[in-house]
Amino acid sequence: MILNPDPVFEDRLLSIFDFDDETETRIVRTMAEVVGILIGESFDGFIIEGEPEFVIEAATVARQHFPSLKIWCAPWGKPSAEATHKAQQQNIPLTNGAGSTRRLRKEIDRFLGGLDGHPAVSAEGVDPCHSLIGNLNQFSAAEVLQMTCMGQRSGRFTFTSGRGNSEIYLHQGEVRHAAYGTLEGEGALAEIFRWRQGRFYFEEGIISQEQSVDRPLAHLLLDNLQKFDETLEVATVAPNQ
Amino acid sequence: MKDKQTDTNLRLIALQLESWKKLHDLITYGLDKAKPIISVEQERQFTEVRANLLQEAEHVLRELNLLADLSGRAMNVLNRGSSLRAVREFSNDDARRLETEWNSVFTKLGVAQGQLKSRRKAFAEVTPFKEFMSRLSRRPAVA
Repeated sequence: MILNPDPVFEDRLLSIFDFDDETETRIVRTMAEVVGILIGESFDGFIIEGEPEFVIEAATVARQHFPSLKIWCAPWGKPSAEATHKAQQQNIPLTNGAGSTRRLRKEIDRFLGGLDGHPAVSAEGVDPCHSLIGNLNQFSAAEVLQMTCMGQRSGRFTFTSGRGNSEIYLHQGEVRHAAYGTLEGEGALAEIFRWRQGRFYFEEGIISQEQSVDRPLAHLLLDNLQKFDETLEVATVAPNQ
Repeated sequence: MKDKQTDTNLRLIALQLESWKKLHDLITYGLDKAKPIISVEQERQFTEVRANLLQEAEHVLRELNLLADLSGRAMNVLNRGSSLRAVREFSNDDARRLETEWNSVFTKLGVAQGQLKSRRKAFAEVTPFKEFMSRLSRRPAVA
């Protein structure tokens, strides 16, 4: 996904993608659109172009709401020292978007090379040891976890979607460990709570030796549902929805 | 083979169509008197989409060689629909006229998009060798 507030007149980077057959791109103009789309769909990477302050602001919002998203920024001018510092703090890679086209192309190739495409279809099948199986568009991860924890269960939840696979381990009705890609603990939980597409299954009795979450489920739910509400606020709701 | 101009035009037309669709969604909402009151946020979205179209339409239509056909109609839609609240107060005739003009712009852009895609497909089937041979055969004979 490429965020560019002026894609018709400032299209140097976009014209590089015109010649790239292997990369599927989606161009959007506002951060509200980006958030709205990212809630429903999965993207391997997120490229932001624009004025330096706009780029860093957008990248910060994206990092905050979608921690696992790979972000790359190409500001049209030299960012201020303060903006550069902010980007460094948030671990946001900055490239000189006003540099030569050849250099920009190289940087894009490097960014795209570092993306690992997730399989669109999940690889899991129905197994007799799965004691609970369902769809995330019917029950959200938060609802499913609440129900299972109320029953004081111990085991492993696996969530699979276009975004990849993730796992949450329960121990006697409390979340003990969560992992999604390189994220672990509450960061991984925050990601999984946002998923609205995909499948899940629960395997009773699988215990994790690792413990990356130590807060009660009620607190985690409250925090994450509040965060999700904030994400929805950023996204502009279409008038006919 | 790939043709840079075709790819650029396809990108421009996709962006332009996206903006016209958004404008239509908002106009449809505005025209439906049964829908709840128009919010400030919706009015802001409408102005944003309209501003993008006002800024980009002429440039894109010129690039696509559609300026003569569509510029007048596109400007009519953008001029008449000055705000969502104004759209809600349209008479039936005004509303129909707006819809007709929007439809002319959208249809023509859609057809042009199809033609560009077809052109891109035709280019993709041409190999550099075929292109070389074709140029060679077109070259005027030297006495």
